[in-house]
Amino acid sequence: MRSGSVKPNQKSTIDKSPVVELANISKSFPGVVANRDISMRIERATIHAIVGENGAGKSTLMKILYGLHQPDSGTISINGVLTQFKSPSEAIAAGIGMVHQHFMLADNLTILENIILGYEPTSYGVLSLSDARKRVKELASSIGVDLDPDLPISELGVGQRQRVEILKVLFRGADILVLDEPTAVLVPQEVDELFVNLRKLVANGTTILFISHKLDEVLSISDEITVIRQGSTVATVAPNAVDRLKLAELMVGSDLPGHGERATKIGKNIQLSVRDLTVIVKNHKNPVQNVSFDIFESEILGIVGVDGNGQFELCEALLGLVDIQGAVEIGGIDASNLNVRERLDQGLAYIPFDRHREGLMLSASLWENALLGHEVSLSRGPMIDFDAAKKSCREIVEQFGVTTPNELVPAFVLSGGNQQKLVVGRNLAKAPKVLVAAHPTRGIDVGAQAAVWEEIRRSRDAGMSVLLVSADLEEVLGLSDRILVMFDGKISAELDPKKATPQILGKYMTGAQ
Amino acid sequence: MTNSKNFRLLVAIFGALAIISTVRLWTDQDGLTSSGTIGTALRLTVPILLAGMAGLWAERCGVLNIGIEGMMIFGTWAGAWGAWQFGPWVGLLFAILGGMFGGLVHSIATVRFNIDQVISGVVINLFAFFGVRYLSELVYVGKKGGGISQSPPQKWALPRFDLPILSGGEIAGWKSPDFLGWLELRRWFIIGDLGGIGRGLTHNISWATVIALVVVPVSTWVLWRTRFGLRLRSSGESPVAAESLGVDVIRLRYYGLLISGGLAGLAGGTLSIVASSYYRQGQTAGRGFIGLATMIFGNWRPSGIMTGAMLFGYAEGIKLVASDSITALFLFIAAISGVFLIYAIIRRKRIQVLIALVAFCLSALAYQTVDTVPESLTQSLPYVVTLIVLATANQRLRPPAMAGVPFRRGEPH
Repeated sequence: MRSGSVKPNQKSTIDKSPVVELANISKSFPGVVANRDISMRIERATIHAIVGENGAGKSTLMKILYGLHQPDSGTISINGVLTQFKSPSEAIAAGIGMVHQHFMLADNLTILENIILGYEPTSYGVLSLSDARKRVKELASSIGVDLDPDLPISELGVGQRQRVEILKVLFRGADILVLDEPTAVLVPQEVDELFVNLRKLVANGTTILFISHKLDEVLSISDEITVIRQGSTVATVAPNAVDRLKLAELMVGSDLPGHGERATKIGKNIQLSVRDLTVIVKNHKNPVQNVSFDIFESEILGIVGVDGNGQFELCEALLGLVDIQGAVEIGGIDASNLNVRERLDQGLAYIPFDRHREGLMLSASLWENALLGHEVSLSRGPMIDFDAAKKSCREIVEQFGVTTPNELVPAFVLSGGNQQKLVVGRNLAKAPKVLVAAHPTRGIDVGAQAAVWEEIRRSRDAGMSVLLVSADLEEVLGLSDRILVMFDGKISAELDPKKATPQILGKYMTGAQ
Repeated sequence: MTNSKNFRLLVAIFGALAIISTVRLWTDQDGLTSSGTIGTALRLTVPILLAGMAGLWAERCGVLNIGIEGMMIFGTWAGAWGAWQFGPWVGLLFAILGGMFGGLVHSIATVRFNIDQVISGVVINLFAFFGVRYLSELVYVGKKGGGISQSPPQKWALPRFDLPILSGGEIAGWKSPDFLGWLELRRWFIIGDLGGIGRGLTHNISWATVIALVVVPVSTWVLWRTRFGLRLRSSGESPVAAESLGVDVIRLRYYGLLISGGLAGLAGGTLSIVASSYYRQGQTAGRGFIGLATMIFGNWRPSGIMTGAMLFGYAEGIKLVASDSITALFLFIAAISGVFLIYAIIRRKRIQVLIALVAFCLSALAYQTVDTVPESLTQSLPYVVTLIVLATANQRLRPPAMAGVPFRRGEPH
C-alpha cells in the first residue's frame, strides 16, 4: 500500500529546476497533425500556463503527458529522468495528476469512492474505508474545503465537484498538477477561491500546468505562459512581458478584428415580449418563475447566471419545448400556444446550448446539417431539392467563413469553431426577427468567436432582436444593450453593461446581492 | 434513525403476517403459508435470484446482459451433462463453466468488438437454444432416456438436509424434534404461519440453495467493500473517469461478464440438477428475463433483487403447490391495498389513494368472481409487476449510469 497523503515540500528554498521537460513531441491522428515538434520546460513550483485556440493541440499534448496518448516522436523527462508513459497509471505513479475540463466523476458513487478510485487503500483487497475517510478529511481541510465524504457526487454543485477533482489528484500524492480549462465552469468568485488554493499548493512545492484560453486569468495566475498555435509552440513568455492583446495575437497569428460599434439605434417596436413566464416541471420546483421582459428591434438583451438557474429552461420555453404559464409574443403575435415549427415560422431562431447535442448531426454531411429547419423551403413536394440544399449550404459556408473542403464532408471533421459558425449561419440565413443565442461562442477559439460576434452584430444592425444567454461575462458585457441576471429561476437584477463588471455580475449570479 | 427504520420494517413485516394469517384462517386456505408452499417458493426463487444477480454483475460493470436466458440454457445443458457423467457437484461446476462460456462470448462481442449489447445478448439467446439442441443430437440421442430435447436422467441427486431441532434434522444419528412443523400443525394465528414459513425455509434444503443464498451477501460485500468491487462499479458508472485513474475498464468488464455468465450458468444448473434430474429443452422458461425484471425491481441492489426474487418465487410456488389458495391471495392483496388506502387518505396523497382504491376494488372483485386463474396470467405476473415498478418508481431507480454504453479505450471525450 502506497501512502497517498501529500508531503508538502517545506524547505524555504524551493528547487527551481525543470520538473517536466518535453522535447520535440509530435503526434498525428488520421488526417490531422495535432502536435508538431513541441518542446517546453516547466520549472518546479511554478504555475505554467498553456494557451492556444481550440484545436491548437493543448489537450492532445496534455493527454500525451498524462499517458492517455503516446507521442509519435519526442521525449518526456520528469525530474530529469527520461520516461515513457504507456497509461495514466504510470503517469500518476510519476506524480502527475490531471483535473479534466469535463469532470471525470461518477455521479452515483460517493465523494470518498470517487477520490480513492484507482488508488484505494486496502488490506488484502478489502477497502480500508475509515482510513481513507480520515485522510480525505485531512486533505480537504488542508486546502480549506469542507465536504462530507459520504455524499454522492450527484448532490454537489460545480465548484464542489472541481474541489473533489483536485482532492482526487492530491490524494494520489501528485506534485505536478495539470488543470484543463479549470475556470470554464466557475463564476468569478469561485475562480478567485480556486486561485487562492492554487497559490497555496505552489507555495508547498507543487508544479501546476494551467490550460486555458481565458487570457486575463492566465495573465493573473501564471509564472510563465507557453502559446501553442496549430500544434506548434509559438512562444514562451512571462506574463509581465505581454498584455492581453499581444497574447491573443500570438494565439491567433494575426490581428484581431476590433469591437464593432453599432450602426443603428435600438428600435421602438417590441419584437419579443415575455410576461410572467413560469416553466412547470411536475414534482419539481419550477425552474423558471414569473419572468417578464421585452426586447426591442435591434436590441441585444444579455442573460447571465450560473448554469442551472433556469436559463436553459427559459430558452426551451421560448422555443415551445416545455409546458409554460404566462405569455410569449413574437413580433407582436401571441405565440404562447404555438408549437415549435409555428414559432420558427414567426421569425424565431435558436442557437442551442450544446452544438453537439442539439445543434448538429455530427456524422451527417454539412449540407444536411444546413438543411435542418429549412426542409420546407428547400423541398419540392415531399422530396428534398438536393441542388438547392447544397447551394444554400455553400452560401452559408461562404458568407460565414466556415473553413471546410466542401459541403459534403460530415460535420465532425470540422473544428468546434467552424461547427459553431455553421450553426450560427444556418440560423441567421433566414434573417429571423428574434434570435435566442445560448452560449454562442462556448468552447471556440478567439478567431471564430470574433467572427460569430461580428455576424450577430451585423444582423442586429439589420433589425434583429437577440436574447443572449452566456456564461462568458466578457461576451455579455461586450455585446449586450441590457443585462438581466437569473438566479434560482427568477430575474434577480437588471444591469447596464456600461456600468457592470464581471465582479458585480458574479455577486448577483451567486445570490450574494 | 436506523433504529426507527428497523422498527418500521418490523411493523410492516408483522402487519403483513397478521393480514395473511387472518386471510388464511378466514378462507381456510392453509396453503398460503404452509411449509410446502414456502419450500417450493424457495426452490423457485433460487434460479430467479441467481439470474438477477447475473444481471446485476453485468450491469454494474457497464454491460447490458439480455443474454442471461441463453447463458442459463448453456448452464442447464452443461450442468446436466456433467451431473450425468460425474455426479451433481461436478455438474454444478460444469453449469457454471457453461454459463461463463456464454459470458465470454458476450464480453468478446461487446467489449472487444463493441457490438451493440442488446443485439449480442439476443444472438446469444438464439445461439444457446439451437446450439444445445445440436449438442444434444451429438451426445444424448441414442442414450437410454436421452433424446434431442432431453438428457438421460442423472443417477445421484444433491444431498438435502433439515435443520436440527427446528425442522427435525439429524444430529449424529439422533432424530431431533421438528419444532416448527409442530407449530405449523397447531394453525394458531401468526404463530402457525411463522411455523410454516420457518419450516419451509429450513426443511429439506438442498446445499445448492444454500450456495445460491450465499451469493447475495458475498456479492454485496465484494461490490461495495473491496477494491475490485469499487473499480468494477466505477466501470459501469463512469468508465471514462475510471480509465483516467488507471482502472483497466476493459479487463473489469471481462471479469464482470464472466461472473455474470457463471451465475447465470449456476442458475441453469439448479434447474437441471436440483429442481429436476435431467436437462430438458425449454427448461429455463424465460427465467433469465424474469431475473432481469427482478434486477430492475430490486433497483440494481442485491437486497432488492433478493426481495423481488422471493416475491416472484412465492407467486410461482403457490401456483404450483396450492393453486386453490390463489383466490385467497386476492383477498390478501385486497386487504393490503385497503391498509395502503387508509394510509394514503391520512397522508392526503391523491394519486396513491387512487392507485390503492383501484387495486383494492380489482382484487376484491377478483376474489368474489374468479375461481381459477389462467396460468398465462400468473406467468406474466413478474413482467406486469416490473412494468408497474418502472412506471411508478422511475424517479427513484438508480441504474448504473453508463450501463449499455460502449467504451473504447483512449477515445476523445
